[in-house]
Amino acid sequence: MAEKGVESKRLKEVTSLVRKGARRITLSIGDGANDVSMIQAAHVGVGISGQEGMQAVMASDFSIAQFRFLTDLLLVHGRWSYHRICKVVTYFFYKNLTFTLTQFWFTFQTGFSGQRFYDDWFQSLYNVIFTALPVIVFGLFDKDVSASLSRKYPELYKEGIRNTFFKWRVVGIWAFFAIYQSLVLHYFVLAPTSSGINSSGKMFGLWDVSTMAFTCIVVTVNLRLLMMCNTITRWHYISVGGSILAWFIFVFIYSGVALPKAQENIYFVIYVLMSTVCFYLTLLLVPIAALLCDFVYQGVQRWFFPYDYQIIQEIHRHEPDNSRVGLLEIGNELSQDEARSFAIAQLPGQKSKHTGFAFDSPGYESFFASQAGVFVPQRAWDVARRASMKSRAKTPRKN
Amino acid sequence: MSKSYFMGHYRMGNCTEKRLQTIIWFSTFSTLGVHDVHAGFVSVTGGSGSFVDSSFFLARRSIHPSVAHSRFTQQELPACKPILTPRWVISAFMLVSLVFIPIGVASLFASRDVVEIIDGYETHCIPQEFRNDKVKYIQTPGVKPCIRTMTVPKHMKKPIYVYYQLDNFYQNHRRYVKSRSDVQLRENKSENDVSSCEPEDIANGMPIVPCGLIAWSLFNDTYNFSRNNQPLTVNKKDISWKSDRDHKFGKNVFPKNFQSGKLVGGANLSSSIPLSEQEDLIVWMRTAALPTFRKLYGKIEVDLQKGEVINVTLENNYNTYSFNGKKKLVLSTTSWLGGKNDFLGIAYLTVGGLCLFLAMAFTVVYLIKPRRLGDPSYLSWNRNPGGH
Repeated sequence: MAEKGVESKRLKEVTSLVRKGARRITLSIGDGANDVSMIQAAHVGVGISGQEGMQAVMASDFSIAQFRFLTDLLLVHGRWSYHRICKVVTYFFYKNLTFTLTQFWFTFQTGFSGQRFYDDWFQSLYNVIFTALPVIVFGLFDKDVSASLSRKYPELYKEGIRNTFFKWRVVGIWAFFAIYQSLVLHYFVLAPTSSGINSSGKMFGLWDVSTMAFTCIVVTVNLRLLMMCNTITRWHYISVGGSILAWFIFVFIYSGVALPKAQENIYFVIYVLMSTVCFYLTLLLVPIAALLCDFVYQGVQRWFFPYDYQIIQEIHRHEPDNSRVGLLEIGNELSQDEARSFAIAQLPGQKSKHTGFAFDSPGYESFFASQAGVFVPQRAWDVARRASMKSRAKTPRKN
Repeated sequence: MSKSYFMGHYRMGNCTEKRLQTIIWFSTFSTLGVHDVHAGFVSVTGGSGSFVDSSFFLARRSIHPSVAHSRFTQQELPACKPILTPRWVISAFMLVSLVFIPIGVASLFASRDVVEIIDGYETHCIPQEFRNDKVKYIQTPGVKPCIRTMTVPKHMKKPIYVYYQLDNFYQNHRRYVKSRSDVQLRENKSENDVSSCEPEDIANGMPIVPCGLIAWSLFNDTYNFSRNNQPLTVNKKDISWKSDRDHKFGKNVFPKNFQSGKLVGGANLSSSIPLSEQEDLIVWMRTAALPTFRKLYGKIEVDLQKGEVINVTLENNYNTYSFNGKKKLVLSTTSWLGGKNDFLGIAYLTVGGLCLFLAMAFTVVYLIKPRRLGDPSYLSWNRNPGGH
């Protein structure tokens, strides 16, 4: 239903009716001042920055320049955003759950006295330095399929409608793997330390073991992020490698400096650890044992119960990466007819840009007819009329 | 004419366009029949002679450099797009098993080479008449000797490490772990820094050096070994980590006022030996992670032959009976990996073997139920067309 020149109260009422009555997620799009209340009433308001000024744009959640950009807004960016947000949120819960549960299993062995497994600084900086950047990079750059494929397969949008990636089942699976990984991280790190740890028979203390466990957990959680990526840019490598490197640099400095405070638990711990073969063997074993289950699950899921976007990735896996081409600069893809109608649309039209109505030009039947591909051919007299008009100087509009 | 960008930054276009004022309800997008929209454009010369270049959005005005087109902000970075095909899955498993199984075998062999003799003596070293009240026996003053024998099962090469193992002793209890003052251990001048050491901070009005529960509960059983009536010397040097000796325990800090209160928790320390040379204390103060732990007591620097009988004269001083703790004496050799611990070897072999098994299993499954990579019939709209 297309409305033109309708007062804003009416538009708002109709939007609210669908939103509350039919209980659907609503999106409304408009470009005029009378669209503002409608834009605000819907779940998602899209304003078109147009000739009527910026009121619609200022009231909207998203603003675009032309109506047909709505396709990209929804099918490409909306879909990517959904995919990214789901993954980022579930990953965040996973990594914190793994980290906390490792400490939780330790409480059973301290007589429930509440002794922390990790040093205070390790705990505070876990989410700030050692695991923060990779997930941000993932949320910025991950694309399950490229933009052109997103447009080619609009059915992929259904994944968002069906809430495929943020159901309780998905969250439950992440939680299960977090529990499994925390058990591996805890017990596999503690088990080798029950007897002498190096060839001179010396033993590890509590803080040696906890630093070893923390190293393993930082490595495991960051590698898990790489397993979850669909697109890996160089920023992924930099952030994952950088986070692990930042951990080592931090612990080298922290345990190398004798700080003037009452307890120096971590003094020299990492150097002691790195002088034993056990540390390196544990560091190799634990992340791989922890991620084994995830890897098996991903392999099985991808092969036997693939998501749609995964099939599409496989169908187009051999196509060259055209991400270097700008998102809308896809060369000459217009057919002859489209090119012609584009050229005609560029001809000067009416004297005034403000026609007051949307659909009154000759050759334009109706919005939905045009969506269905039914076009009225351009009238020859109209084309001739317009071609002979003196072109107005196309001066840049000031806003 | 600079290119304008589109995604991520919606600019006002100057292009003449039909102004549309529409309300669209996107309740289900399928009903709208969204179809291909080619957002392409073309180099065209408009009728009026204006030249529309290949970027659709003519930025007729220049773009501020801070929002200029960049690969980062436009999300056009070159990327690799890994797809977990069967080939990758099987290769990963094979690689892991190829690396892990040899490591596991080597670790297990190293652990099997280690010879270990364990002797739990806390019950046997209480005389028969005191078995009903062990706590009373252990708290009686005086020497409480005990004789034990250990038989060497296999040839043990020097150096042989002597450990004492305690069970059910929570050195990782929160209040125990924090009951120490590292700054006091390090420096002579910080002797009064005993704030975290309660209740073992001050005795008779003077600060205790070293303060805290950890030092107070120092293990004080002693062991003397002999073989064929020849004593075996136990080397008690270099049993602690060098970093502890050099940096954590000061060379000019001497025990003072130690175990001088009414309750004596463990060993006494000689006040003429600086803390950096009190290796028993240093070993004890590296608190263990688990309630069952071993600590190094000393080294025997001679070989022991198979079948030899070692006589141990030990003094049963330490009170583990109040909390049902156990005490064990351990003699062990070491390998490049450390003491006798099969865990790493077994874990590596298990993970490696599991990966090998999974590689085989996945190969079988992929052969039995093949799926062509990129088979469009798996798309959900092809599987149940029209349905949801």
